[in-house]
Amino acid sequence: MSSRTVLFELGVEELPAGEYCAMADALADALVTGLTNNGLAIGKSRVLATPRRLSVLITDVEESAKDTEQAVLGPPISAARNAEGEWTPAAIGFAKKQGIAPTDLHSIVTDKGERLGTIKTVKGAVSVDVLPAIVSQAVNQIPVSKRMRWGRERHEFLRPVQWLVLLYGNDTIDLSLFGLNASRTTRGHRFHGDQAVELESADAYEETLRAQHVIASVEERKALISAQVKALVSDGECAIVEDDLLNEVAGLVEWPVALRGTFDTAFLAIPRQALISSMREHQKYFHIEDQNGALLPAFITVSNIQSKNPQSVIYGNEKVIRPRLADAAFFFDTDKQTTLASKATRLEGVLFQRDLGTLADKQRRIANVAESLCSNLGADPATVNAAGMLLKADLVSDMVGEFPELQGIAGRHYALHDGETESVADAIEQHYWPKFSGDSLPLTPEAAALALADRLDTLVGIFGIGQSPTGSKDPFALRRASLAAIRILLRFAPNASIDDLLQEASASFDEGVLAPKVVETVKSYLLDRLPAHYDEQGVSVDILRSVTAVGTDSFGDIDSRSLAVTAFAGTDAAIALAAANKRVANILAKVNEPIGEVNGALLREPAEIALSDALDRSSKCLAAAVAEDDFPKALNQLALLRSDVDSFFDTVLVNSEDQAVRLNRLALLQELRAQFLKVADLAVLAR
Amino acid sequence: MSSLTFQELILELQSFWGENGCVIMQPLDLEVGAGTFHPATFLKALGPENWNSAYVQPSRRPQDGRYGENPNRLQHYYQFQVVMKPSPADFQERYLASLKRLGLDPLEHDVRFVEDNWESPTLGAWGLGWEVWLNGMEVSQFTYFQQAGGLECLPVTGEITYGIERLAMYLQDVDSVYDLVWSETPTGTIKYGDVFHQNEVEMSAYNFQHADTDHLFTHFDFCEREAQRLVALDLPLPAYEFVMKASHTFNLLDARHAIGVTERQRYILRVRTLARAAAQSYVGSRAKLGFPLADNDLAAAALAKLVEEDRS
Repeated sequence: MSSRTVLFELGVEELPAGEYCAMADALADALVTGLTNNGLAIGKSRVLATPRRLSVLITDVEESAKDTEQAVLGPPISAARNAEGEWTPAAIGFAKKQGIAPTDLHSIVTDKGERLGTIKTVKGAVSVDVLPAIVSQAVNQIPVSKRMRWGRERHEFLRPVQWLVLLYGNDTIDLSLFGLNASRTTRGHRFHGDQAVELESADAYEETLRAQHVIASVEERKALISAQVKALVSDGECAIVEDDLLNEVAGLVEWPVALRGTFDTAFLAIPRQALISSMREHQKYFHIEDQNGALLPAFITVSNIQSKNPQSVIYGNEKVIRPRLADAAFFFDTDKQTTLASKATRLEGVLFQRDLGTLADKQRRIANVAESLCSNLGADPATVNAAGMLLKADLVSDMVGEFPELQGIAGRHYALHDGETESVADAIEQHYWPKFSGDSLPLTPEAAALALADRLDTLVGIFGIGQSPTGSKDPFALRRASLAAIRILLRFAPNASIDDLLQEASASFDEGVLAPKVVETVKSYLLDRLPAHYDEQGVSVDILRSVTAVGTDSFGDIDSRSLAVTAFAGTDAAIALAAANKRVANILAKVNEPIGEVNGALLREPAEIALSDALDRSSKCLAAAVAEDDFPKALNQLALLRSDVDSFFDTVLVNSEDQAVRLNRLALLQELRAQFLKVADLAVLAR
Repeated sequence: MSSLTFQELILELQSFWGENGCVIMQPLDLEVGAGTFHPATFLKALGPENWNSAYVQPSRRPQDGRYGENPNRLQHYYQFQVVMKPSPADFQERYLASLKRLGLDPLEHDVRFVEDNWESPTLGAWGLGWEVWLNGMEVSQFTYFQQAGGLECLPVTGEITYGIERLAMYLQDVDSVYDLVWSETPTGTIKYGDVFHQNEVEMSAYNFQHADTDHLFTHFDFCEREAQRLVALDLPLPAYEFVMKASHTFNLLDARHAIGVTERQRYILRVRTLARAAAQSYVGSRAKLGFPLADNDLAAAALAKLVEEDRS
């Protein structure tokens, strides 16, 4: 069977650099699925994408799929002939519908008994016939983050669609989408290429485009950019090529040409983050460091043309970055003309949230709460106090106004400039840490106290005024704040009482501002974030439930229990004991009368005596292990009960006719359950 | 070639877009923050009627004033605005041709379309598009309007906004806007600074120090009431003028830091509410005229839709 390459190209006006790759991948997946669902054998698929085109090449797509045989079922064999052995009307009707004589029907055995039927040959799909529908469906499956319309029609896509190419080998296939007809005409590079380029065949696609100054492969463009960037730095220099930026830059060009520019050395006095921000966020430049990691006054930009005069492009880019850096330098200088302390007074005029007061109010609350956390975290109160008064002051600086991502970093520079200590400066900078999931935690206990107080203040405050996050809307980033608080607590104050912390944070608000029960609300929100926190550590939601069911005093406690139960959960003993716990819990749940203590005199069966003895023995060791927070040991202790528990359930009938004996057995089970609940509610883990 | 003077650049753009079928209009005689506020963009983007236009619009951003001391920032500058409705299929190519007309060779200078989605909270408008980079510098904004005044745009208006000072600074290779050659005259060279420097100094002083905020607050309320009243009287064009006035008054208050963060949101919402009302009223007024500038099929569809909305 012969086969050919399929090419589909969707030509568009420039797509967002952050999205086009995923779109092309989805298109390719959907095309492959479409072809295979039609029974067509295919070779390899290759995804090609540039800002102006999403393309998929699929090699060796067979011209038509093999014919298949399909059973067509008629009436049950028992209803095929009447008593006289003649065909029944049902059988005749079925045969007629199939266009064959009843004698050509035969018996087919199915799950539901023997049926009269026939085997039909189904023609295999023909590529050129099914491709238009497959492509249309695949295009519909491209994820489009924000749909837009253009012109006067109602077609929708992420940017206006300009042209379509659909080739099967050398042949075009008719397809109409977005009001356009597919052809073999693609377009070259906007400036270096031709506006109409005839493709001879699907296989010639990549090379035809290359001749048109279009590198269609994303990976190839990325490799090219990396190599070009490297070639522009000399020994002892290092161009910082981060993946995110590389991906973005590759999404802005079809014909990458890296060029190196410089800026005035004087700008190096500005905090490096501001320089990097200016270069990376605004201009998509790669920055360059020396051997010691110090920033060099240079940048690398990637243009989309092989300029007749590359100096023009470099000159232009230098001209853009200069005023940006001049702005940053200007902000940095003017900011330093007033102290952080004086900036802090301006926080009185900046609202944090209408019901929760100004940033000055927030800063005061944070400082108060952080101070009370000092003993818990082993932080120096004097440093916490000093940093606490300046914490948010850089938010009114011009620098942070222009570069919001410099919050904290700017504060650090200004604090040092004002003669504050390193530790105060550290605390100001690091109280924003962790900035995102996986970011590093504050390094000092002082910074941690402030960071924690800040998170708790936001959580208690925002929940307290009823602005809890809903669905995907979380404008105050409470999820992130919660996860940060949990991480900071686990590192710096694992044993701190969650209730006390939240109580403390809510007490710093004026009376009547927060809704009642805010502590409970925030606590349960925090506990609900645990699965996200433990996601990567393999602690399951069920294990967290089993642990929080028995106690939620501190995150350290939850943590050590969860990790112990996780390690234990895989064992045979765990599975058996989880089932036993569930059984016991179910039995106890149905008991209405009061259950007393175990009475040794009422124990009769050997298995119940043995279980009672075992519980007595384990009780002390268990209590000791729990007191030391040694939960693995406690679980090992409990695991020893397994055989006694098993034989109890195998041989003893809890529901004895003797009421006293029955209650005594229930008391025994209650004791068993109580011992387990000292660690976790294993019943939750039962399958 | 010798580079264009500032006024030649404007004249070139006007003739280029005039040749491309645009009605060349003159600036709106009210203070607005951007060319988009001009009724020839905002109102014409509404409803099914066709419209192609280009014009220079002085744009006022009180907060961006720097007393004439910053080489790039101005509280009063110019935008060259192009709107084409429906947006033509070769809109990008036409734009690139306009750059060539200004003497920019895209094989020498790196021109790119970089994602930038536009949203005007005060106008209840948004669109998708790009900022256009010329050797890394943003020189234009390119937008396909999707919504204006809270109403869906169909046909879609394509909008190009040139930052003409920036473009001119590039073409003339000067580092300060005030050094731009505005015009060569028999009596000598007139620079941008000769025309506007004093204005920047004085207007910055007014915007940041002397604007009477008490009065401005009252004035905002007045504009809001007028806009509402005029909408009720089915006078969308005067109503919309008061929306623009309210918006500028808000910008002045903002420059004076007279409005707190949350209050700010509320003011924006108030302007948006007015803009929506004026937009709806405008569409209604055009419907009464039968959408005279629309293609027949789109006019009929839009009228039918309005009738249906009236019923429900």
